[in-house]
Amino acid sequence: MSKKIGVYICRCGCNISDYVDVEKVRASAEKEADVVLAKTMVFACADSSQKEIINDIQNGVINSFVIASCSPKLHLPTFQAVAERAGLNKYEYVHANIREQASWAHSDDKEGATAKAVQLVRAAIAKVRFATAIEPIEIQTQQAVLVIGAGVAGMKAATSLAKMGVKVYLIEKEHFIGGRVAQWDVLCLTEETGKDLVTRFYNDVVMDKDITLFTGAELIESSGSKGNFKVKIKITPRYIKDFCEKEKMRRAIEVCPVEVIDDFNFSITKRKAIYHNFPSQYPLVAVIDMKNCTRCGKCEKECDKIDFSQKEKIIEIDVGSILVATGFDPYTPRKGEFGYEEYDNVITLPQFKRLVAINDKELKWNGRQVKTIAYIYCVGSRQLEGENKYCSRYCCSTTICAAIKAGEKFHDLSHFHFTRGIRTYGKQEMFFYEASKQGQVFLQSFEDEPPRVMRKNDRTIVCINDILTNRREIEVDADLVVLVTGMVPRSHGRISEILKLPRGRDRFFNEIHMKLRPVETVIDGVTIAGACQGPQNVVEAINSALSAAIKSYSFVSRDTLQVEPIVAEIDAGLCTWCGACAKACPFDAVTQINLEGKEIASVNMTVCKGCGMCLPVCPVNAIQLKTFSDDEVEKMIGVLAQEL
Amino acid sequence: MAAVEKLSFDVLVVGGGIAGIETAINLGNNGLNVLLVEKDLTLGGKMIMLSKVFPTLDCGACITTPKISEVARHPNVTIFTNTVIKSIKKQDMHYFKSLLVRNPRYVIESACTGCQLCEMACPVVVPDQYQYEMVGRKAAYIPFSIACPRVAAIDIEHCTLCGACERVCPPKCIDFTQEPIEFQVIIKAVIIATGFNLFDPAQIKRFQYGQAKNIITAMQMERLLAPTRPYNHVLRPGDGKIPDKIAYVLCVGSRDRTVNNPICSQICCMYSIKQAQLLMGALPMADVTIYYINIRSYGKGFEEFYEQAKGMGVNFIKGKVGTISEKENGSLILRYEDICTGKLKEAEHDLVVLSAGVLANQDATGFFSDDRWEKDEFHFARQNDLFFNPALSSIEGVFLAGTTYGPMDIPDTILSAGAASMEAIRYIKQMALKI
Amino acid sequence: MVKKNNARILVFSTEKISDPAIDMAGLLKLYYPSKVYTIAVPCSSAIKPRWILHAFNQGFDGVFIAADGSDCPYGESCTAKTGILVKQTHELMKEKNINPARLKMAAICSVCSESFVKHMKSFNEALQKGK
Repeated sequence: MSKKIGVYICRCGCNISDYVDVEKVRASAEKEADVVLAKTMVFACADSSQKEIINDIQNGVINSFVIASCSPKLHLPTFQAVAERAGLNKYEYVHANIREQASWAHSDDKEGATAKAVQLVRAAIAKVRFATAIEPIEIQTQQAVLVIGAGVAGMKAATSLAKMGVKVYLIEKEHFIGGRVAQWDVLCLTEETGKDLVTRFYNDVVMDKDITLFTGAELIESSGSKGNFKVKIKITPRYIKDFCEKEKMRRAIEVCPVEVIDDFNFSITKRKAIYHNFPSQYPLVAVIDMKNCTRCGKCEKECDKIDFSQKEKIIEIDVGSILVATGFDPYTPRKGEFGYEEYDNVITLPQFKRLVAINDKELKWNGRQVKTIAYIYCVGSRQLEGENKYCSRYCCSTTICAAIKAGEKFHDLSHFHFTRGIRTYGKQEMFFYEASKQGQVFLQSFEDEPPRVMRKNDRTIVCINDILTNRREIEVDADLVVLVTGMVPRSHGRISEILKLPRGRDRFFNEIHMKLRPVETVIDGVTIAGACQGPQNVVEAINSALSAAIKSYSFVSRDTLQVEPIVAEIDAGLCTWCGACAKACPFDAVTQINLEGKEIASVNMTVCKGCGMCLPVCPVNAIQLKTFSDDEVEKMIGVLAQEL
Repeated sequence: MAAVEKLSFDVLVVGGGIAGIETAINLGNNGLNVLLVEKDLTLGGKMIMLSKVFPTLDCGACITTPKISEVARHPNVTIFTNTVIKSIKKQDMHYFKSLLVRNPRYVIESACTGCQLCEMACPVVVPDQYQYEMVGRKAAYIPFSIACPRVAAIDIEHCTLCGACERVCPPKCIDFTQEPIEFQVIIKAVIIATGFNLFDPAQIKRFQYGQAKNIITAMQMERLLAPTRPYNHVLRPGDGKIPDKIAYVLCVGSRDRTVNNPICSQICCMYSIKQAQLLMGALPMADVTIYYINIRSYGKGFEEFYEQAKGMGVNFIKGKVGTISEKENGSLILRYEDICTGKLKEAEHDLVVLSAGVLANQDATGFFSDDRWEKDEFHFARQNDLFFNPALSSIEGVFLAGTTYGPMDIPDTILSAGAASMEAIRYIKQMALKI
Repeated sequence: MVKKNNARILVFSTEKISDPAIDMAGLLKLYYPSKVYTIAVPCSSAIKPRWILHAFNQGFDGVFIAADGSDCPYGESCTAKTGILVKQTHELMKEKNINPARLKMAAICSVCSESFVKHMKSFNEALQKGK
């Protein structure tokens, strides 16, 4: 059947047509061989335009087409669906990116942008001439999901997926679940504590028979893709058996002679080598920190459930999708940053929140009573230089909230907030209002003139040229200086390398598109949720967890899944089996077979990911990748090289 | 009124803006039958009216139209536009009953080809609400070029029944005999995605909105900048002059107890910065000044976007605008308190944009009479279990998506729609187990 | 006009890693010469040397491989494999008397828009001088 090619050039409102002369592009496309129709459209992606294309196909005017519009990352699936609805195969359509790579990239050079768009469209026409129908490949899917991180986002995602009838493996690197929220005592907007909230999530997790929870568990290997991931998990034992009596455990902890810094309390307290984080941290069994344990054996004498013979285990699981919810770390200030680690009464916001939580009657730091607190905002966020240029979103509200709650718990506190402009967005504005009404003092500076922390006669002084009072120099003699530290991505171990998850400029995991595909990553089948994607508060993290869950569910809800049929093909006539392609393949998709007495390579279509790594290594050029054949690529190159 | 038609679906989604569309797609993709109800003539809500969206500067239409197209042709989604909800009542544990009224377009939807001949023939001109009254439209009209459905409607309130449209309509689809149709719908779960209202700046007299000609709202500026824009250029409405000193006044109707809206609207800083960036592109010679109290560029990529605007030369003045007054030549004098010096200052601009805030849309209050529909003190829907289940309303089986429960930007709206969908599916699954 | 002399550069980008960076360069309006044409392939180790030679034959002044580097979604071996194919192609270019400097490779991560633009500008200049 001869090719009847339709070319649709999108004006994208005026995004394209302001810089690219779309009429010129259309006219040149129209002159190409096999092109029977070339049109410009205001929005090719609009419903009416889609209908128009479908009509052209169904009326037999065209049997393959080119869309020249925005990046294929946005709307390739949209137009593939158009092809399918019209009864074409989706590979009978080729896309030309004339927005991101022509009109926008060269809006300083309209002539150049137009010339480039002309060429890109001609190249796409050259490619579509070779287009044939390719049928999708069906694979069996594992109806299970791996959720990485048992903070609130991970737990919410896990329980939601389990309630949909999906098997869930929930793994947590720490020995206790709850993530950062477990460490917060007060939560804004509610009377519930972080511990209460975590308890509710945990109860849902343990009550669901479809969720298997592993603590002390780390992802160490992953292979396969969407529908069929094989993952290896390393599980560090607790060295304590289940069902340990509470009292015996208490004594075992008491007798432990080893004291180390307690990370749970952000190192403002110490813990033993056998520990739990607070009396009801989950799972309820304590854990022995083998890095610091001296094996003195004292705990063993108190508690019969202690078991040093437990071994590290590596387990393998098969899942159809992976949901990453690894959360954040609080930013750690550099030594000397606003007096941090220089003056003993300079602490971070997380430390302050733990301090408020663990002090009962009086707020004390280093044995001294605290009356005046200075909060310095945007520490590690909104930096002019370096990677932390972003706003950490939650700190303004959470700090003001913590100050209000601290004021309720301990009387006669004075609060001085050294801000860069308060960002209590939305309803959180009410905290700012409330704190101001209480007489808490808010001062402000711009980024170029941050507050200064100094020592005067053994006192710690915070000084600012306050822009709210005509840059008056204001000094506050503070008992405690709280550095309002922002969020940085949690040190994930090797998760991002193992899963190949791209990170943004802020080093948080990157979604495909903030609005179109906000919880998906470029790695098919891997979704992201919560603060691993960027600073978020609890509600926002739960919303993103649920969104990620529904996306992960879509990968595993049916027992088969269609995957891209873009695979490598071996030309049996040319192949002389040397094994180079099998060696180059990262997925073991190539095997040696005997075809009518001849040893040749064969590609397993359900395993091949279409990366093409086998292509250049073949000494006899016997391998072609579908839609990237020599014919297609070389014709495109030829067209691009010959400017009209 | 014709006899009541009875229908049943799994889920009723109220609101055809981005939150409702996203939710309907999610639910439909997971095999649920959805009825998506929109009171307006077209899907798309506020988002489809936007020029570009922060912080990626994608055009609003480019993100919305494919989603609309997807929902419009989804086999599991039925769409009723121009339809209002009369009531939603819980029948028993498992079902809700809703009464809807589908108002007539006076055009046979299935027959209209969107040729716009009726529009050309119609002699009646009224202000175009889709262009925020900056230009006129006819009484027979298609809301805008990328409306969905892209079908004409007759604005019967303004129509003179002259019959001009009827005479020119090729498929003869104008039908003045149409009447409202009442539907009774049985559903298992409800999603409220009714969105928000914009604050009307005319309420603040000292800003002179509606009095001075060259003061517009940010939504009007959005239209001036959009690809489907009314004048195909950014012009000041008073005299069609190209403005070269443009001012943005932030927190208009937000963080303001005098108008009973003490909260922050969460989006105005960012949309104003976005518009400022677009203006710098559209009018390279123009000065753009943003008068703000605090810049709240809190989300992913937002602070970088703010820095980018500063880099492009947008002026940011930390100042509270007291009054705006009009000069004879149509230019405007802003009196403001310069917070950094504490001094009262004046500045002249030739176009002033008021960044109006977000108010709760309280339509849903009227839907529920027997059940306990609760609101927070700012009239937004109350979330029953804020942290554990943010999408749940005060009524079991009724879920919330988007700005129904508070101001939020588009990325957050999309995530909240995902959350509402997931919760609704889970709820229906669990209900099925109980039967 | 300086623009007229711009070198014709063929870029092989990768669908998931470097092409998004090139898109973002457009989005951020980080201008680069307009005679830079991109063909996106799944992975930079999938580029056949014959394609590159074909490009020179057809009249391209330079070929730039915007490689996945260590971000390649298909495996760590990508960097090494792309390196090998570039080396092989350089050899073939020498045989055919094509200046090997006309083929360049650099890893472009998915947000490395600025780096991409810098590469394009400097490569364009270098190729113009070589003309």
